[in-house]
Amino acid sequence: MTNPDNNAASTGLFNRSKTWVSNNPDLAFSILLAVCVYGYFALTNDLFATHRTSYAIMERFAVLGLVGLALTLCIVAGEIDLSIGSNAALAAVIVVRFTDSIGAFNALFVALVISTTIGLVQGYFIAYLRVRAIVLTVGTLMLLRGVALFAAEEKTVMLTDFDVTDFIQTKMLGYFSPASLLVIGVFVLVALFMNYTRYGREIYAIGGARKEALAAGINLKRPMIIVFTISGFCAGLGGAIIGLRSGTAQALGLQYLLLAGTVAAFIGGVSILGGKGGVIGAAIGTLAVNFLNTGLVFNVTPAFMVQLYLGILLIVVIMFQTGSRVYDNYQRRRSILATVDGRRDQMLENKKKIQV
Amino acid sequence: MNVQTPTLGIGLFQPIVSKLTRHSSGLVVAMVVLFSAVFLYGAFTAPNFMTLFNLKTVIRDAALVGIMAIGLTFVTLSGNFFLLSMKETAALCIIAFATAMSAGYGFEISFLFSMVIAIAAGVLQGLLIGLGGNPIVVTLGAAGLFFGIGSFWSDNLVVSFRRPHGAEWLGTGSFLGLPNITVAFIVIAIVAELALRYTNFGRQVYLIGANRAAGRATGHENLSMAIKVCTIASVCSAFVAIAFAAQVSSAHVNYFSSSFGSSGDMTILVIATVMVGGNSIMGGYGSTIRSSLGALFISAVDNMMVLHDFNSGPRVLAVGLMIVFSIIVFALINRGRRVQE
Repeated sequence: MTNPDNNAASTGLFNRSKTWVSNNPDLAFSILLAVCVYGYFALTNDLFATHRTSYAIMERFAVLGLVGLALTLCIVAGEIDLSIGSNAALAAVIVVRFTDSIGAFNALFVALVISTTIGLVQGYFIAYLRVRAIVLTVGTLMLLRGVALFAAEEKTVMLTDFDVTDFIQTKMLGYFSPASLLVIGVFVLVALFMNYTRYGREIYAIGGARKEALAAGINLKRPMIIVFTISGFCAGLGGAIIGLRSGTAQALGLQYLLLAGTVAAFIGGVSILGGKGGVIGAAIGTLAVNFLNTGLVFNVTPAFMVQLYLGILLIVVIMFQTGSRVYDNYQRRRSILATVDGRRDQMLENKKKIQV
Repeated sequence: MNVQTPTLGIGLFQPIVSKLTRHSSGLVVAMVVLFSAVFLYGAFTAPNFMTLFNLKTVIRDAALVGIMAIGLTFVTLSGNFFLLSMKETAALCIIAFATAMSAGYGFEISFLFSMVIAIAAGVLQGLLIGLGGNPIVVTLGAAGLFFGIGSFWSDNLVVSFRRPHGAEWLGTGSFLGLPNITVAFIVIAIVAELALRYTNFGRQVYLIGANRAAGRATGHENLSMAIKVCTIASVCSAFVAIAFAAQVSSAHVNYFSSSFGSSGDMTILVIATVMVGGNSIMGGYGSTIRSSLGALFISAVDNMMVLHDFNSGPRVLAVGLMIVFSIIVFALINRGRRVQE
């Protein structure tokens, strides 16, 4: 009796998911990739699809997700923030160094204020001087390393009291820790901001079509400053979480964050031309990278091999994007030429008719 | 673009001075004056800084970074920003060279082998960049790839080869009292500068960097140019790797991550050199002599700060300040001159 209804509902669902996929091909691709990576490791390794591993993956997500989110926002705005690793390292050094003297909460607050201010100043200079972000951030990359070395007095700083370390790793709600819950909260806030506020939409506008945005009366400075402020905040929070969790911090550490975060952002569907991608994509891209990372660790792969795989992944994604763009251009040129040829033939025919 | 006078020394400073007087605000002049005042004060007060021996030390320190920076200058001038994979290309090539040397194939074959790998790496990156990939992201991925291959190949161990070997003349030999690496630096700087000024290829680099649309309209696509400049940069990295391996008779992928300068990151140091030398990162303006002088300047400042007993923190900070300073100065000078893309 209920069969037809059921059928209708299922085809409706199917159709709806089909239109969803064709509307969001990048997001569908990243979900597919994440599921495939997870499935591969879950099938080949017994320990992978367990509760503890999922908890560990969420713990990694806390840090890498923030960096992936920051880079996603920057790339959406058509820029890239290279100083993210240095900013994170600086925040980690500050938090670890000052936790003993002024308490973890105050130290976290100080570190976040400093890293957010750094992001703000960077964004201000990029907007005001009208330089490309890579130019300025490659300078601040080195500058912030110097500041971090200075703050750490060229040593590896360590916590003496591990209460905070224990606290941010306590299990909550099955799969989460305070750190990962906080990060998920940040994700939700940023997603709401990007999708439902005017300032968030302006970021998409200046990334996708800067000249048109300018013509539409958008102030180019404001979105740029907002993006880099959020980026600085995310980098600082990520660095602080790493520092508190491991109890140590190095001024020259955390260089791997840039590559991993960029891979996450690109898997999540951003386009280097800007204006594409979003927070959900960043989350899924990060999860895919985390699955890969964790699975490789389970298979006893050395750290440099992880870097090799990430590099290959990034190059493959870039090749696909570039290839599709080249192909699009080729098709467009061909169709234009075809139209031109068609018109010419038409005109020749008309000419013949007139002459006859 | 400026009309560049063919004399090497004067041609360099004249455009800077004229630009400063024409465009600059008081702020820029004040910053330049302040910076040179600090440098001169430091130079005159540092013990043993102004000696001939120390001058040679400065040049020798600058040589390896300088050679890489000259290679990278071609990429920057052609408007392809910079390669983030300089250090990793060098790491891959140093492993290739040392593996071939330790297997007993002589200097020439090992050298060629390493160069072939460098050319392959350069062509791969140049192809992706020329087809429209973003240089930063492409080379970031390539960096991970090369570093991974290098570590995998060497099993993350030190590859060493015994003295005496055929490469000693390059690493530790000297010519007329100058170390051979310094001589190579000077020769490469002169050859690169002449190539940029007087060959068709050099002028094309400037054309494509200054105005890509005009380059395309006159039949100079960025594809072949990106492949050429990336190959030049990779070959320069490979040369540095070989010279360094010849000096220490061993190789490890982390040599270029830890042994150089104070920052622990050769790639950023090389980019810093290109920027501090005063090349426009957007392309089309600059020269390799500027990069060489940038290398000498950074090396001199580093040397001076070591003589003043500074730790690595302030030294990295100083180099970072120099980069940011040069970015700001050049942005202020060029403001409103060129429409942003």
